Amino acid sequence: MSTRPPQGTLVGYQGHYAGAVSRFAAYSIDLVASTVVFALVLAIISWGVRIVTGHDVNWNRSNIVVVIIYVLWQFLYFGYSWAVSGRTFGMALLGIRVVRADGAILPPKQGVLRALVFPLSFLLFGLGFIGILVQHEHRALHDLIAGSAVVYSWDARAAQLRFLARQAELPAAGSTSAGP
Amino acid sequence: MNPRDRLRAVSRRVTDPAEVLAQEATERVVDLVVNALDVNELAARIDLNALLSRVDVDAIVKRVDVDALLDRVDLNALLARVDLKPVLDRVDVNDLVQQIDMDALIEKTDLGAVIASSSGGMAAEALDAVRSGAVGLDKFVDRWVRRVIRPKQPWPAAPSALLAVQAET
Repeated sequence: MSTRPPQGTLVGYQGHYAGAVSRFAAYSIDLVASTVVFALVLAIISWGVRIVTGHDVNWNRSNIVVVIIYVLWQFLYFGYSWAVSGRTFGMALLGIRVVRADGAILPPKQGVLRALVFPLSFLLFGLGFIGILVQHEHRALHDLIAGSAVVYSWDARAAQLRFLARQAELPAAGSTSAGP
Repeated sequence: MNPRDRLRAVSRRVTDPAEVLAQEATERVVDLVVNALDVNELAARIDLNALLSRVDVDAIVKRVDVDALLDRVDLNALLARVDLKPVLDRVDVNDLVQQIDMDALIEKTDLGAVIASSSGGMAAEALDAVRSGAVGLDKFVDRWVRRVIRPKQPWPAAPSALLAVQAET
């Protein structure tokens, strides 16, 4: 069974509400990317402190200061991305973006508000995310509070043209390689 | 002299001047009628459509040697006299472009190879694959959820503003 839709139909999905898989994949990528960047920054700070003072700095995950800085960094990562462009790194990769509930561009204030209320969706075992599956506009709890929605925004038309171009190229390549 | 020939000679002497006279009189009458006629008025009364419907244009065209006709036409001089700007102003280029079947164009021409070589390599192709795969899974999950919860009304596909944009394009 193939779940991949025919290439031609993808253009029709542009601007539609994004589904759970795309959004979860984008969030997973963001979580990994932001954590890697955070760890890299901590490593650079440790290296700098050791160079300057000669003492090793031990960042411990149970250290409350590290946890607070990490939470602040997460807020900065998501809040800044949504406020400035309506998309994070992971969302850009998956071709989805946050828009206002009516489909207009998300104002920066709403982007920041979305980042502020985002943790609420994790409460009660992530019940706030159920809306992505069962709400008629696929909006999670933080979307409903911030007045936002997530839609497909990747250039499916360009992707289709690339796909057709590849299809057109394949027979051409076959005919040239079959020559004497 | 034969009396019959004499009669003919007499008859000729009478008829010849009469014929000349009749011809001159006719020419004079025709001149007078033509001068008295309002040709424009006459032309206005002619039903050209009815006249043209009786003309076999195809037969006329078949008799025309188009090649010879075109050989005598200086197309460059003709085109130099055409002001293309007002013609182009009247053309709705957007409408024209929308009528082009881009998919067929790409498949049937070298345009496909040009696009493939110019618009991103492996990374773009990998992204396309990941994104289309994710959309497919989204739709798969969505179908199952709807089967389970059976919504009473159909769900909107997109926010209103984006649906309007999509309808316009």
